[in-house]
Amino acid sequence: MKLIPEVEVSQTTASRAYARELFTAMAAYVVAVLVTVKFTPDVDPLLRVPFVLIPLIPSAFALRAYLRFLGRMDELGRRIQLEALAIGFGAAGMLTFAYGFLENAGFPQLSYVFVFPLMICLWGLGGAVATRRYQ
Amino acid sequence: MKNTLKVLRAERDWSQAELADRLAVSRQTVNALETGKYDPSLPLAFKIAQLFGRRIEDVFDPHAG
Repeated sequence: MKLIPEVEVSQTTASRAYARELFTAMAAYVVAVLVTVKFTPDVDPLLRVPFVLIPLIPSAFALRAYLRFLGRMDELGRRIQLEALAIGFGAAGMLTFAYGFLENAGFPQLSYVFVFPLMICLWGLGGAVATRRYQ
Repeated sequence: MKNTLKVLRAERDWSQAELADRLAVSRQTVNALETGKYDPSLPLAFKIAQLFGRRIEDVFDPHAG
């Protein structure tokens, strides 16, 4: 199986398939998180590690949906994604490091689960900037 | 790079969305091509030329824009 299968389809079809695949994966993810958070205390300590990692399975399907979407995207769409990811990646690196330095100056320590949502927001912002460049 | 995409499309009375569907690209891509904000890859340029029954150099002018 190819990691990013390149398929030529209408872009409307590609967007619809992505929306459907991503929605299914995210719905499963929400259920997986709710279930694992609720039942972790009841789970045998020996099985607790694999149990709390169950949400990784629907996450992998979400990643798969995005990679399939990339493969179905037209060439300008891919370029915009590259620019959006570059902006998001760089800005997230700068901001998280800046906050790390601020922690040295006494700012409260934050959990690193905030890093990924921040990356997603900056990726979205990068997407808006990159899209405008070609309008 | 300048191109005659908009004229060729108008001759056939196609909307940007219609042309986009025929090329399997987004409407946004057709718009970016027409306004010269984005130059297509060689395979896409050939596909565009073939769709309109022209040669690449009749659609795209490397000396302008």
